[in-house]
Amino acid sequence: MVQIPVQPVRASPRRDDAARARLAAVGAARAPVVLARDRALALTGPMAAVLPSVQRGSVVAVGGALGTGATSAVLSIAAAATAAGEWAALVDGMGTLGGLAAAEAGVDLARFAVVRDVPRDRWATVVANLLEGVTVVVAELPPTVRIGDARRLVARARERAAVLVTCAPDARAWPAEAAVRIQARGGGWSGLGAGDGGLELRAPVVEISGRGIPGRVRLELAG
Amino acid sequence: MAVRTLCSWCPDWPVVAARRVGRAPSAVPVAVVERGRVAAVSIEARAAGVRIGNRRREAEAEAPEIVVLDRDPAEEAREFEPVARAIETITPRVVLERPGVLSFPTRGPSRYHGGDGGLFERVRETVDATGVSALRVGIADGAFAARLAARRNVMVPAGETPTFLAPWPVDALGDEALADLLVRLGLRTLGAFAGLPAASVLARMGREGLTAHRLARGEDAHPPALTTPPPDFEERAELDPPAERVDAAAFVAKGLADRLLERLAARGLACTQVVVEAETKYGESLSRAWRHDGALTPGALTERVRWQLDGWLTATGGLSGGLTRLSLIPDQVIPASGRQLGFWGGDAAASDRAEQVFARIQGLLGPEHVVTAVPQGGRTPAERIRWVPWGEPREPSPHAPIGPIAGPVSVEVPPWPGTIPGPAPARVLEPAAAATLLDAVGQPVVVSARGDLSARPAELRCAALPGGRGVVTAWAGPWAHDVRWWDRASRARRVTWQLVVDETLACLVNVERGVASVTAVYD
Repeated sequence: MVQIPVQPVRASPRRDDAARARLAAVGAARAPVVLARDRALALTGPMAAVLPSVQRGSVVAVGGALGTGATSAVLSIAAAATAAGEWAALVDGMGTLGGLAAAEAGVDLARFAVVRDVPRDRWATVVANLLEGVTVVVAELPPTVRIGDARRLVARARERAAVLVTCAPDARAWPAEAAVRIQARGGGWSGLGAGDGGLELRAPVVEISGRGIPGRVRLELAG
Repeated sequence: MAVRTLCSWCPDWPVVAARRVGRAPSAVPVAVVERGRVAAVSIEARAAGVRIGNRRREAEAEAPEIVVLDRDPAEEAREFEPVARAIETITPRVVLERPGVLSFPTRGPSRYHGGDGGLFERVRETVDATGVSALRVGIADGAFAARLAARRNVMVPAGETPTFLAPWPVDALGDEALADLLVRLGLRTLGAFAGLPAASVLARMGREGLTAHRLARGEDAHPPALTTPPPDFEERAELDPPAERVDAAAFVAKGLADRLLERLAARGLACTQVVVEAETKYGESLSRAWRHDGALTPGALTERVRWQLDGWLTATGGLSGGLTRLSLIPDQVIPASGRQLGFWGGDAAASDRAEQVFARIQGLLGPEHVVTAVPQGGRTPAERIRWVPWGEPREPSPHAPIGPIAGPVSVEVPPWPGTIPGPAPARVLEPAAAATLLDAVGQPVVVSARGDLSARPAELRCAALPGGRGVVTAWAGPWAHDVRWWDRASRARRVTWQLVVDETLACLVNVERGVASVTAVYD
């Protein structure tokens, strides 16, 4: 038996850095691989315990009646965008957003626009336009959303790698698909007594369901 | 010390060039417009009151007989080429800034022609021989001062450049925003601006301000420690078949410009002067330097190469044949001090996209429909935020202080007395929703002038809240505010409660003139 030495096959000469760099560039161009963590916006603050990150190109449907904490939830997703140096916008159906609360939620106000008093027939156009150039678009839903409009917006968000966050009293009001649905259920407040103290903390209850989240999770948050 | 420079400048070159090719008649008012705005005017039009920056309509209103032409940069470059060639007989180091303006360092040619005076005369003669009689010449220390000297057609003696610059208005810096700021600061002349300490200028106005300050002091825009670029930064392309047409060569030039600036940027360098070299198929070799005040962008560089190609390929007495080789050589590079990003940092492209989108929606709905929040001083949540239409300046109102605000835009300021404590409510109802605040026996809760309660609040009724009514389970306050006590017509006494209704819903309730309302909901 004659042993034939086997040369290990190499993709490119080890020392030729330039060639290796070119090869890597070709690979990236042929099969673009974007790691999931690069496509995610990391949340901070109390919401991060429930939802550590939001995938770009996905839809998050948030629901909750006035006072249950739904606005704080959407603001923390908007804050994730501005913290990453990107832009966020909110379509304010009622025109009642508190700007100071947005700042306290961590939103950089210089990169945060609020669109107010949108006529109902222009709502889908406005949201579609916002998705063109803004990373996180929080849209408060009008009483009825046509399924066709909703599907178009889902496709637009996916195509532009933007996050569409819908906000309505009920998370199920969004007629199309959503990666995550969050229903805020409110909760008790602390710090306030009978004529003394001041509002401090609350423990809102949040129900969350969606892809990658087993079943329905009910969480209590502090803050 | 700034490099002694000769600058030759032809005022209103676009008009002069148009007249030279016969596109514009002489002795009548002429204006050249670019994107609807007047970019250059003839002497006659200026006398009639037409100004650069006017709209076409305005120009026609000022001088009804005016001839209005569209701007043609290619024509300007072509017509200037003979002037550049004539000057090239004096010195090989001719640097073009744009068609109509060229400069060169005087050191060598000045000695040859027996001093600056001799050179000045020689350049004048050469230029007059080309037939461009309107051309002016100036010599001073530094390119900026030389350009101003050319406006006056004077020669500034060596070392007297700061004195020459001092009386010029700050507009001469060519930065409108900076000039506006300086005038508001009471600095109307370059001399006054130059008198400021450089460190303070850098602290207050940043790098751009410092560059302008160097110019005002009669120094070069960039510190003289220019790095010589390593020779391998040349970008060249062989053209096969030879390029006979400008657009074919310009297309290649664009790729070269992009690659060159990208490679320089990778080394942390930016380019302020570039040499364009070309070779024709009969071996004729051409070279011309182009300078730019700031760092060249790919767009600006491509534009300059295009002008040069226009000059070579289509000027009278052109080339023997098509171009076979084109190369771009960085001649002066400076450390790249970074692109000017948005004031708050971030990606410039993303910022442009977002701005476009917001502008589009403002076009769709009206400017007041897209707003941004600006924190300001105040007691209630509604007072502490000012909503500004997107695109308008975000500066706080002049009577800031701003309350301490958490988050990335926190501002350090003295406390605002009477601010509602605690977290900010996420929903601020404007106008406030009418409500009724009742005590345990169903009587409205009232507050005396001294701030004493008639009874404890027990029930809140408000149509805007879910359920419409609820039991008050906890409360804080009332905080009494004298609102606009100095104004007889609008002054009011107001008390504010923080209430928790049914243990879950927190809101702010005002009572003003005996009428209760819900002003904000914590959501």
